[in-house]
Amino acid sequence: MQTRPNVELTKTVLTEPTAEALREKVSVRNLNFYYGDYKALKGISLPLYDRKVTAFIGPSGCGKSTLLRILNRMYDLYPGQRAEGEVLLDGKNIIDPKMDLNLLRAQIGMVFQKPTPFPMSIYDNIAFGIRLYEKVPKSEMNDRVEDALKRTALWDEVKDKLHASGLGLSGGQQQRLCIARSIAVRPQVLLLDEPTSALDPISTAKIEELIYQLKVDYTIAIVTHNMQQAARAADFSAFMYLGELVEFGTTDQVFTKPRESRTEDYITGRFG
Amino acid sequence: MTTAVVEPASETSSILSRNRLMDALLRSLTRAAAIIVLVMLGGVIISLVDGALPAIKTFGFSFITTESWNPVTEKFGAAAPIYGTLVTAFIAMLIGVPISIGIAIFITELCPRWLKRPISTAIELLAGIPSIIYGIWGLFILAPLLQAYVQPALIATFENVPMLNNLFAGPPYGIGILTAALILSIMVLPFITSITRDVFETVPPMLKESAYGLGCTTWEVVRHIVLPYSKTGIIGGIMLGLGRALGETMAVTFVIGNAHRIHSSLLAPGTTISASIANEFTEADGVMYTSSLIALGLILFVITFIVLACARLLLARMKKSEGRHS
Repeated sequence: MQTRPNVELTKTVLTEPTAEALREKVSVRNLNFYYGDYKALKGISLPLYDRKVTAFIGPSGCGKSTLLRILNRMYDLYPGQRAEGEVLLDGKNIIDPKMDLNLLRAQIGMVFQKPTPFPMSIYDNIAFGIRLYEKVPKSEMNDRVEDALKRTALWDEVKDKLHASGLGLSGGQQQRLCIARSIAVRPQVLLLDEPTSALDPISTAKIEELIYQLKVDYTIAIVTHNMQQAARAADFSAFMYLGELVEFGTTDQVFTKPRESRTEDYITGRFG
Repeated sequence: MTTAVVEPASETSSILSRNRLMDALLRSLTRAAAIIVLVMLGGVIISLVDGALPAIKTFGFSFITTESWNPVTEKFGAAAPIYGTLVTAFIAMLIGVPISIGIAIFITELCPRWLKRPISTAIELLAGIPSIIYGIWGLFILAPLLQAYVQPALIATFENVPMLNNLFAGPPYGIGILTAALILSIMVLPFITSITRDVFETVPPMLKESAYGLGCTTWEVVRHIVLPYSKTGIIGGIMLGLGRALGETMAVTFVIGNAHRIHSSLLAPGTTISASIANEFTEADGVMYTSSLIALGLILFVITFIVLACARLLLARMKKSEGRHS
């Protein structure tokens, strides 16, 4: 039932970036995941290519958020949840219990369904993550904060109130602040868990635009319920159903020439 | 059913009028319940002021500053009980608050699941122990232990430390200000713990996850996310504990020594407002004695009120300055 990612195929389907080689930044290999006794993921294998956007799509409960939360070991916070298999980040297995979680999470940023600004100022929301692992002088910190806010197109909106509470921003601004916070610590991979599900269409468009710009520097995985969003924002798409990976391929291929009938049914809105 | 179909208009209007009646009844009942609170509070204040009037007239402001409490000459001053009340409550909070917050952090963030329930239950049981039991336990178990081991050690340790040698001086009686404060700290612990635990649990998991997602350690998440997020609730819990510590009567009466004196040493016997009232009310003969005790009650009322007002002020200021620091 699993579809092994066919790199040869994806290369031929891709139109423009044929010249640049696709490098696997993250490789998920035969991954199983359990909530207690319940097996939530069944033998998932897929790659996340370097500096590409990969969308996880599928109906609620199919395991796409679970998969995302494995990539930064977020499940470790909760007893009774465990993963089997391999998730390689640049060849290093991050499922390994010996992996340093704090360091891993600093390398793999995450943004959630709802904006989660910390109860502190806008400036501190961003400086907070940087201070955790680096000791930077004040002037450099200012630059880092400004840079992160500029990259998320938030700078012009907040530059006059950097020391006001982050909770005072609008929903869309808060979500962009959360993305800024994540990229300020210079991660290699960015995980977006339905980042626009609580936002209005205009804020959603801004976030999608942002994703497009961010993939120049980051490997991005995005979970979304919104088919159009996956089609617009992602280079690759993975369709999941009931804990299994049904199909993985370039977004073009998955959306226009799905190999599996279940993929087609879901994408065309016949179920899910 | 059929009648309802035949004459829907009258049926509906009767239901509507019954609903209106029920709503009006609910409104007036709940309003009456709320007004009772105001009436009772006003009644307490009036009777306290009325009862304290003779003492206030006779002693005036010096009632608060005078230490001597002499039923024979009918010279009364409230300085010693006020001092005792404030100092025992302060020390109790000094000991109780960090421990309570520590327990709450452990329960919500670190505790393995199987240990969570036993600890929570133990804390609830601690809250359910009647204060007289704490008093008896304090007098017969804790005080002798303190007398035999802790107090001599304290006296010896701080003998040559300036300032502190005054705080821990004199013969180890066992009972005294410090013992009362210790008992109080145990008594306020379950209140502060259960409230802080509840507010810690209101921190959205997603917020904590986003901090963990940046690479935070548990301590960093607690320090920068959980505590700031729940600071209003924590202060509420502390104030509730402080209110209990200020007003606690029975347990304190057992172990404080009931001496109307202000002594620089924490090991010396003292008294608190509520302990004085409980101890002396039955034997208070004469208008001035009774009136002075009621005046003590009024002072306790005012102290509690000031504490509450300060808490409100603090919360308002914290809200204003939120996010303005960097």
